[in-house]
Amino acid sequence: MPRPIREMVTFTLDGREVTAPESTMLVDAALEYGDVEIPVFCYEPKIGPPVGACRMCLVEIEGVPKLQAGCSVPVKDGMIVHTNTPRVKEAQEGVVEFLLINHPLDCPVCDKGGECPLQDKSFGWGSGISRTVEPKRHFEKPLALSPLIAIDRERCIMCYRCVRFSQEVSEDHQLVLQERGADTFVTTFDGHPYVAPFSGNIIELCPVGALTSRPYRFRARPWDIEQAGSICMLCPAQCNVSFTVRDERVLRVLQRDHEGVDNGWLCDKGRFAYQAIHVDERVTEPLIRDGGTLRAVPWELALETAAAALRRAGGRVAALAGGETTNEEGFLLQSLVRDALGSPDVDSRRGGTLPLELHRALVAPALQASVPDLQYAHAVLVLDTEPVDDIPILDLRIRRGVRHQGVRLFVATSRPSSLDDRARGIVRYAPGAGEAFLAALDAALTGEGDVDALAGAAGADADAVRRLADGLRDAGEEVVVLWGERLTAGPRGADAARALLNVAARLGLAGRDGAGLLEVPSAANGRGLREVGVLPNAGPGLCEPSAEGRDADGIAAAAAAGEIAALYLLHTDPLLDQPSRRAWGAALEKASTVIAHAAFLTEGIAEHATVVFPAESHAEKEGTVVHPDGRVQRLRRAIGRQGDVRGEWQVLAELAARLGADPRVLTASMVSQRLFDAVPFYAGLTLDEIGGRGVRWPEREQAGALPTAALGPFALEAPPAAATANGRLRLGAFRSIWAAPEVAASPALSFLRPLQRAELSPADAERLGLRHGERVVVASNGHSVSALVHLRQAAPEGSVFLESGIAEHSAANLDGPLVEVRRA
Amino acid sequence: MPWNPEADVVEVVRGPRKAGGAGGLYRAFGETLRGLKTTFNQLARVGVTTVQYPEEKIPVFPRFRGRHRLHRFEDTGLEKCVGCSLCAAACPADCIRVVAAENTPENRVSAGERYAAVYEINLSRCIFCGYCEIACPFDAITMGHDFELSDYNRSDLIFTKEMLLAEPAERTPLRTEDE
Repeated sequence: MPRPIREMVTFTLDGREVTAPESTMLVDAALEYGDVEIPVFCYEPKIGPPVGACRMCLVEIEGVPKLQAGCSVPVKDGMIVHTNTPRVKEAQEGVVEFLLINHPLDCPVCDKGGECPLQDKSFGWGSGISRTVEPKRHFEKPLALSPLIAIDRERCIMCYRCVRFSQEVSEDHQLVLQERGADTFVTTFDGHPYVAPFSGNIIELCPVGALTSRPYRFRARPWDIEQAGSICMLCPAQCNVSFTVRDERVLRVLQRDHEGVDNGWLCDKGRFAYQAIHVDERVTEPLIRDGGTLRAVPWELALETAAAALRRAGGRVAALAGGETTNEEGFLLQSLVRDALGSPDVDSRRGGTLPLELHRALVAPALQASVPDLQYAHAVLVLDTEPVDDIPILDLRIRRGVRHQGVRLFVATSRPSSLDDRARGIVRYAPGAGEAFLAALDAALTGEGDVDALAGAAGADADAVRRLADGLRDAGEEVVVLWGERLTAGPRGADAARALLNVAARLGLAGRDGAGLLEVPSAANGRGLREVGVLPNAGPGLCEPSAEGRDADGIAAAAAAGEIAALYLLHTDPLLDQPSRRAWGAALEKASTVIAHAAFLTEGIAEHATVVFPAESHAEKEGTVVHPDGRVQRLRRAIGRQGDVRGEWQVLAELAARLGADPRVLTASMVSQRLFDAVPFYAGLTLDEIGGRGVRWPEREQAGALPTAALGPFALEAPPAAATANGRLRLGAFRSIWAAPEVAASPALSFLRPLQRAELSPADAERLGLRHGERVVVASNGHSVSALVHLRQAAPEGSVFLESGIAEHSAANLDGPLVEVRRA
Repeated sequence: MPWNPEADVVEVVRGPRKAGGAGGLYRAFGETLRGLKTTFNQLARVGVTTVQYPEEKIPVFPRFRGRHRLHRFEDTGLEKCVGCSLCAAACPADCIRVVAAENTPENRVSAGERYAAVYEINLSRCIFCGYCEIACPFDAITMGHDFELSDYNRSDLIFTKEMLLAEPAERTPLRTEDE
């Protein structure tokens, strides 16, 4: 449903005329347009419609005999509201007194003390005198609601915020209120720990100290700390965060509400993986390999070793950039490899390359949907991505749209999605058959072509594809397609991209406000890295490079064949990030020099790197990144660099200088400026303009500087049919939100570290005689991994899904498309 | 006023041109003798004696604000301080640093859920205003009576929790009611 257009109405607030949009709730209108604060506890517009549970916001409205709850009364024209009459004051004092009847007032030991809305409201609107002499209710405290959250039920004031979050926002339906009256308490239904990808948000929602963070427990007081705003770089969602810093250590991560990015929510990875910044395992000084082991050395020696090795390699150098690379670092890296070393081999994608005109077409400003569009579109199609794993915060945005704006949600994935139960239509196709599915959808949308044959090739149900096409056509004009980058991976990725552009053209998404494509890159700054030219076939600004290089797969093959002497790995361990572990194992083994920027010695780095430069954490970095919807955002340093870590742009610039191509950059902002000058569609951008909220470049005037490309429809050859299972199972790989070195290194999150599990449909399991939780061996071509059976009702028959991105037993060990599953 | 700032001409008062003589003698010894008069007068007075500081100390008033003390419960021996940091918030000189930690059943330090793992007062910065004492919700910190705080090293003036909890080595005498 498109955004509602609201007319302005005028009402009287405490004798003054205030103009506000109609149907705004009174507390919002009063605060935003009338500068009057009406105290609230339970009201939080982020969660959804008001419930009026706490009665703190009582106001007097002329013509209404009783006091009204300001949080649930929309403003109307001519309304006369009083917020500070004696009647209101008495009611407010009464409510505060009532809320404090059972509140223990243990503020000195409570973590919320100093930043507690209940303290503020008691101070501002309470009577200041307690008449309570009766005993207060007692619960056991503090209890662990989950390994991340502590609950103190004595402090709870029953505002329902956490329960509403669980029921209506994240929709995990775990938190409930049990018992009645004064005995009510918040708990999970059967008392199991509240483990959910977004559970940490209830800590910030709680207006008292009932729900507190266990990692932050007793670490600091609000007056001991400073807040530093930046961007979370742990996934492509790039949520705006605020780091809580005490004594140069990050102690906590809070949301920094941005309607265009995260809507004020964070996932637990973003909220708790900050711990990885301050662990002993982190690399904080340069290392070089000496007699088989890595040892710490001074910077000068490490830089000289790296420069000498690169010089020795001549032009036989290749570079890969991982997700945490900023635009600036990516820009310096491609300029180091291309200009200083004369090699065209640089890549930031995984699984093959796309022709340059398709890269241009996919980022064309006319086709870009923004994040809020997901909430206000007529229909959203989730295509080949699992938002909870790939871009968690958009999962909440989609759910909000479905719940409150009536968005019609359609899911087309091979792996079952957590959004399935909110979807109007679901299509399951074989892993890797995205192209065939899109061709079938295209045929169903146009009515031309053989939908049955194409759907059959995709391993999908033809009727479901037709229903999806009808659903998308009937929903309305504004359709947003949220698609995962893995759709365009693999040898036929280019055809899949063309098929996607065809579907977009059939739906008429180009140039339509509120509609478009929204890509979920596989890496946190995937979009930014492509735009600054970390691609084998594109330079900065997606321009033609002087010479076309090899993509990541090509680099692996060339390195294994001895054609590449030195590999430069910026924030990436190919053994974890790339789809084929064996190819990269051979490549790393064969390369005589492997230079890596890494924060953790993951498998590939620990075994193969010859020089390791310590990588900055996202709280230490400065630079810019690009959100999947084209928003250029700015990272700012929250803490000083730990140990002997140096700015990575400095390291890259220093290496370039030693190799005779001095980029002449002295500060991080100079790198940013050079980058903005080099990319035509960033032209004129400044760090000040980006500021704390970011700038969507597709909305800027200079967006026209992107070389134009055809947006479809394209003629396509018939896609190959997905492999028929025929007794074996099709292999699908996914990367869970928790498969990251930062999660493994964070003590608070390590309980979530993923173990390999084989997701199967119950029908396949029955056929193979497997039970849930049983250990199995998944094998193909003589290679095998061990996994636990995980049955999923919605999994398509004939497929098995395995986790990639983990060190042991990763799906990247196996060659698809068919694998054999047997009991271990 | 020695000179008028608004005057254009400043009058310079010079010393006598001729040295020596009776005037010179007076100038050399006159003021000294006048000072000595006070000394001899005090010598002659009966009942008044010089306090032999530091061997002898003048007793302080009960509300004298000297070096801080942290307290324990007398019955349980647990620390009264729960590490709430309110003293640090109240401190106008910003000289208190508190890092809290959680009590465990095996390691119970204070009576509440939390305790001060680090409690430091930088006495070279402290202005002895006593706001920390007023802010403390548990009467865990009070201003003591010690005022002899000089040291050879500034860092030695950062008092840790153990130092603040310990009984002072030497008690400062307290003024009794009739003094």
